Amino acid sequence: MSALLEIRGLCVSFRSRGGEHPALRGVDLDLGKGESLAVIGESGSGKTTLLRAALGLVRPQAGTVRLFGRDLAAAGRRERTELLRRCGLMPQDPYGAVPPTLSVREAVLEPLLLVQGFRSTPGSALKTEALLREWGLPETGLWDARVSRSLSGGQRQRVCGARAMALDPELFLADEPTSMQDASLRGEIVAILERRVSSGMGLVLVTHDLILARKAAREGMVLYRGTAVEKGPTALLLEEPLHPYTAALARALPRLGRAISPPPTGRPAAGGLGCPYSERCDRADAACREAPPLREVEPGRFVACHQV
Amino acid sequence: MIEIEGLSVSYRSGKKEVQALSGVSLSLPSGQITGLVGESGSGKTTLVMAILGLLPPEARVAGRILVDGADVVGMAENERDRFRWIRVALVPQGSQNAFNPVLSIGSQVAEPLRVHRGLGRREAEKRARMLLDEVGLGSKASERFPHELSGGQRQRAALAMALSCDPAFLLADEPTTALDVLIQAEIADLLKRAVRERKMGMALVTHDLPLASGLCETICVLDGGRLVETLPAKDLARGAKHPRTRALVAALLEMEGNLS
Repeated sequence: MSALLEIRGLCVSFRSRGGEHPALRGVDLDLGKGESLAVIGESGSGKTTLLRAALGLVRPQAGTVRLFGRDLAAAGRRERTELLRRCGLMPQDPYGAVPPTLSVREAVLEPLLLVQGFRSTPGSALKTEALLREWGLPETGLWDARVSRSLSGGQRQRVCGARAMALDPELFLADEPTSMQDASLRGEIVAILERRVSSGMGLVLVTHDLILARKAAREGMVLYRGTAVEKGPTALLLEEPLHPYTAALARALPRLGRAISPPPTGRPAAGGLGCPYSERCDRADAACREAPPLREVEPGRFVACHQV
Repeated sequence: MIEIEGLSVSYRSGKKEVQALSGVSLSLPSGQITGLVGESGSGKTTLVMAILGLLPPEARVAGRILVDGADVVGMAENERDRFRWIRVALVPQGSQNAFNPVLSIGSQVAEPLRVHRGLGRREAEKRARMLLDEVGLGSKASERFPHELSGGQRQRAALAMALSCDPAFLLADEPTTALDVLIQAEIADLLKRAVRERKMGMALVTHDLPLASGLCETICVLDGGRLVETLPAKDLARGAKHPRTRALVAALLEMEGNLS
């Protein structure tokens, strides 16, 4: 079995004074060796929660998460640690992700020391330097600077990437990994991810940017308010979207030489039955009062919409 | 209309002299949106701060910045204070930090009206509610506090505040950064409408070339503190001449893949 990550019927909700807030409502996900999946959606769609749940960092109300074939809920603490060491997480906010007292070099070295019983070896030092160069931080003068000072947001984000790759993860989870990068570096980060994927790493990429999704991942899943509304190859999600929400995401994306088209103005309402997107959808009709199932409409393409 | 002539700005950082802008000349006409585009460190934010007279005191500034004919460089602080908000207003980058967390949105949007337009509190807050309505937040948003708003809503509130004193010119510094695509498109649309309806001029400062190409008539490309190219936005994809602009465009097209 080469399944790295297998998620079934995952439901996660958060509780606040205002009541229960469902973040994921029954999501399935499969990822094998050398596969790449983009999880696409706007703020609040549940994409970051999905990443965190995949690592057992949030407890689901229902559903299962299997990492490397092992049910996370059934794994003991020690086994969980072993499983998580085979994963790399590049979080969205690089400001909170690295202990502020560490230097750039230490930030990348730390995971290696952790598994080596806090002994630095010549190998780990070399590896750290190679990672820093790979992640676009070749200036050796920067390596001893503290992460919390003298680094731009983009540089911090790259430190986080190098740190997350220190243990050669079999599964890499990246949350908007290029959000703080200039255009010229965005491509380099995508190239790093591509290289690893082609040598067997599994990648889950979380983004709201369909162009990045298409460039860095083969398959995509569009989340809307915690529900997968479309799944399929990322190239098709961008170029021939089926679900009205995917289409709105594709249209809203600024592209060279094209005017920006504002999205439908409806706003998500609270809870309710039926198609979650119907409150914003310009194609909704009476049928949409019932929640549409995710069904295969073409080989490899799934959509949850009564109008398709 | 803002005209910038031979603007150079340098700072001393430790023992080193850092040249943030070198000999930049450009004009930002009224009634349209001009893009100031460049990567980190290109000098675009320094340019905005120079126009507003908000550079740190140790910055050395040479050249002229004419706002409707009046030179901002060397202007006394109390004079600048009369021109900020009224002639030129800023829509700041990352509106999280643009608001005071303990004051209501309405009172903060009203503040420039009280300070710069001399309105009474009641009148200023009434205007603030109208402005919040204009930017699509609804007048009720005036009683809310910054943390109760989403990133997109805060960016709308920041625009309402910038519009409060009816400025002739808006400087928008990365107004859509950190917002997701749909919200970004809404804010872009809102800015475009504000410029058209109020017949203002606007400079859009951004590293996002596709966004600039979708919003602006003219694009000025900055690199390493220099203006390297000015071109009509519609020519970006094919008509760029400077190697730096071409590299930026190439990086984008490479990301977009072989799209039509």
